[in-house]
Amino acid sequence: MSAIEVVERAATADGPAAPAPRRAAAVLALARFEARELLRFVPVFSFLLLYIGYTAWQLYSEGDGMGAYPVLQDVDRGTQTGPVLLGIALLVCVNRAAVRSRRNGTDRHDGILPMEPWRRTVAHVLSVVPYAALTALVVAVEFTWAALKPGASGHGSFFELAVGPLCVLLAGVAGVLLARLIPSFFAAPLVVIGGYVLLVLAAVNLDGSHGARWLLPAVTEAGAGPLPSDLLGRPAAWHALYLTGLIILVACGAVLLSGARTRTALAVTALALAVTVTGAVGQAPGDSAALKAARAEASVHPERVQSCSVHGTSTYCAFPEWTGRTADWAAAADRVRRLAGGAAGGTRLTVRQRVEARYGPEGDAAIAPLTGPGQVSAGTEWGGDRNVQFAVGVASVLVAGDERAGSEVCDARVVTIMWLALGAEPDPLARLRGARLDDSVEGDAIALTPVASVAMTAGQTDVVRQLLRQPRYGVIAKVKAHWTELTSPRTPLARVAQLLGVKAPTTGEDNGETCDQ
Amino acid sequence: MTVTVSASGLTLRYGGTAALDEVTLRLTEGVTGLLGPNGAGKTTLLRVLATAVPPDRGAFSVLGHDPSTTAGRQNVRRALGYLPQNPGFHPDFTAFEFVDYVAILKEMTDRGARHREVRRILDAVDLSEVRGRRIKRLSGGMRQRVALAAALVGDPGFLVLDEPTVGLDPEQRMRFRELIAQAGEGRTVLLSTHQTEDVAMLCHRVIVMAQGRLRFEGTPAELTAQAAGRVWSSAERDPAARAGWRTGLGTFRNVGDPPEGADLLEPTLEDGYLLTLDDASAEVAA
Amino acid sequence: MRPVTSERRPKPYAVIRALLRPLWRTLPRPALAAAGGLGLLLAGLPRLLSGAPDPWLCLNLLRAAGLCLALGLAFLFDDPARHTTAPVPVRRPLRGALRLALAVPVAALCWTAALLLVPGQARPPVGAVTLEAAATAALALAGASAAVRCTDGTRPGAAVAAGLTAVAVTVPTLLLPQRWALLVAVGDQRWADAHGRWAGLLVVAVAVVALCAPEPLRRGSVLRPRPRGTAPTTA
Repeated sequence: MSAIEVVERAATADGPAAPAPRRAAAVLALARFEARELLRFVPVFSFLLLYIGYTAWQLYSEGDGMGAYPVLQDVDRGTQTGPVLLGIALLVCVNRAAVRSRRNGTDRHDGILPMEPWRRTVAHVLSVVPYAALTALVVAVEFTWAALKPGASGHGSFFELAVGPLCVLLAGVAGVLLARLIPSFFAAPLVVIGGYVLLVLAAVNLDGSHGARWLLPAVTEAGAGPLPSDLLGRPAAWHALYLTGLIILVACGAVLLSGARTRTALAVTALALAVTVTGAVGQAPGDSAALKAARAEASVHPERVQSCSVHGTSTYCAFPEWTGRTADWAAAADRVRRLAGGAAGGTRLTVRQRVEARYGPEGDAAIAPLTGPGQVSAGTEWGGDRNVQFAVGVASVLVAGDERAGSEVCDARVVTIMWLALGAEPDPLARLRGARLDDSVEGDAIALTPVASVAMTAGQTDVVRQLLRQPRYGVIAKVKAHWTELTSPRTPLARVAQLLGVKAPTTGEDNGETCDQ
Repeated sequence: MTVTVSASGLTLRYGGTAALDEVTLRLTEGVTGLLGPNGAGKTTLLRVLATAVPPDRGAFSVLGHDPSTTAGRQNVRRALGYLPQNPGFHPDFTAFEFVDYVAILKEMTDRGARHREVRRILDAVDLSEVRGRRIKRLSGGMRQRVALAAALVGDPGFLVLDEPTVGLDPEQRMRFRELIAQAGEGRTVLLSTHQTEDVAMLCHRVIVMAQGRLRFEGTPAELTAQAAGRVWSSAERDPAARAGWRTGLGTFRNVGDPPEGADLLEPTLEDGYLLTLDDASAEVAA
Repeated sequence: MRPVTSERRPKPYAVIRALLRPLWRTLPRPALAAAGGLGLLLAGLPRLLSGAPDPWLCLNLLRAAGLCLALGLAFLFDDPARHTTAPVPVRRPLRGALRLALAVPVAALCWTAALLLVPGQARPPVGAVTLEAAATAALALAGASAAVRCTDGTRPGAAVAAGLTAVAVTVPTLLLPQRWALLVAVGDQRWADAHGRWAGLLVVAVAVVALCAPEPLRRGSVLRPRPRGTAPTTA
């Protein structure tokens, strides 16, 4: 890395005390030694294990089913938080290693050794490199694992992936600089706490300012859902350049503080400062007008950028990065439709993938339901509970006619909607739990669709739960037989229960007039 | 002579290795030297006798107190002076403050009497000139004497000294010997050391330890006598010797089992010590 | 011959009175002062910022201030002379308790000042935040106490502080599952439960401090290999 160049150039410039390669080799040998010593610090060892173990566990556990359908432009950013643990442990422990000789009173003795203090500082800086490399390896495995999944979509960015290892390196280098500024054991923990607080403060106060927020080492923006990669507007490359410059700058600061005020060292410092400033300036401007226009177009008129494919009688439209997903949607929609009766079974659906990109990757704004008959919205996430949400969306359109009307259903039709969405699932009760916001199967709760929600009362939940416990084919027949009455907003819940052959809830709260709640 | 410290069957294991293996000994008033190679268990024995570590098995008593009970241990500690192998200091304390601090920890609460005692001890170890100087500004030999003063303060009946002369120059060592010899008058002193001259000059009894066991217990003369007839000189290195080196005279001084008609030399305590250790390791190997 | 024999069994309070001054001087005062200073600075930040103080921010600044104080207390049991003073009649629990008695009031004073520095209208419930700070401090002390008991080191404070820092900025925010959350906002429905857990932590930590107070019976190499030359087995 560039830090090694610092060593070599500085060593040659420093004079003919020893041949430069040997001087550099000594620094490398010391760096190797210090890297090994770092592993003997309990925080470094345990957080390294924790980081690797946690990442491995996440790769293995697949999350809540969404892990099988990773969106690569979010996966790359997701690798940036894990190394924080390791970075903090390294900051504190590299700092301890770098003040060790001062603390143990051997610095007077060390002062007469042929390796000057600044070269020892360089070795401390280099001792972090193996940990950064290990982080890079973990990040690479994490991303490759996701990218190789059949359900993967989107594009990752190399520069986003580089941020994790660079942050680890930056933390370690900061520990060395701190050791040279305040040669005391208790400085590092206090500075970590102070720095942590400042970062939190900065995150709170700089919410609006794009340029200032990107000065933080890792900017992990998380919003409602993944956006198409060309709409993210993250200056990842500039940020990686900024971090690289900052690392060299901080390392140079530590080296200069330990007495290497040579022309080469000053030149490298100046260069690093220039790189850092370039990166900071490059990443500072917010979203360009073209990006804003593209985001608005994708949010308001997605049909202009999407391509559609026809499965059966329905049309499925997706952004270019998700065209492979339409078959999954078609399968899910067909499962719901097969349970519906009347004309609904033959409704021509138009499924459209939708995003709200106008507020950037951190945007959390709701997407307005569609109003056209048979139009259904799909999100950019898939797998697990998202499939159920999509099914609820399809079912609400089948029952209510369109998405807007479906989102306003609050009468006993909720029972039909939920049964259509879940009836064909192999483990419907677990799916019911997943569909509801509070993971419950009793009481009132909200069930989500990709763009809206369905409010379930306790009584409706009770009926749905009873239905899901009954043999599926008996219920299918009853639903198809009484379809008109079941999809009428005027049918009270007791009647619905009676039609479907289950016990009406005894609480008496539900009689069809629940919309005022 | 009355036995002041006695131990029987002391055993202490760290992991798989026995640091002490069935150690039985009796100490009387005066200075007893404890010799042994590195790792022989000397420090462990001293720490056990100083009540810093309890033994796994075995019993011992110090000045009539049984340290296996809490009250007994307190009584031992009240009569104990301990100079550890790596004494630690509060570097910002002056020599006087540090010894005073240890004196308080030895429950000397009468301020006037305590300060008199600290001054007396600092005087005895020849530190009265620098007693107001911070410990971090003292030389290594002076620090070692501060540690000895901390051990001596309160006039303990049993003094445990773990390699007190390490790192001292010859003059300081002479001074230390003098101090230890003085301390041995009317007290029981157990002195662990690598310096056989210290033992030869100071001790009335000597103990040799190896691999956690006592290998020898007796007077320095008896230890020297172990090598009687087993030290000889020769013109060339004698392959039969267990140890041999060229002396300043150009001839070889050999220790071991001499050949017939060898030119025997007067043994020293060191010869006796080396042969005792050698016999011990031969015994272990066999 | 033995001039001090007559006062061999002094009354305990006499020892305590005599010990207070030298023990005060053995305290790691630079670490405590730095920790207290930074803690007060953090707690005072809301007054330096313009605009109305944000209660959420003030709560977390107070937590950070409490953590700083705890980091200072992690150095409390550092004693470079511990090997010299191992076998003395005044036992380690008494010495440890005296150190605590000297340091805790100072820390408490510091904490009170930090609480008062936070503007009144944004101040979180004082009792609950104090419980959090007390538990954090007790955890630091438990770490230091356990380190003294389980290792041979004379100054374990730096390692304990490093470990506590690493744990504090990662575990409660990143690793604890939601239902065991410790750092919750005022008004969160888990507030009471979280403080139940804080109280539990406090009790456990205090118990560890008490259990580890006596002079270690055996310094085993529990945590890390003993550096050569300081091992008690080498003679």
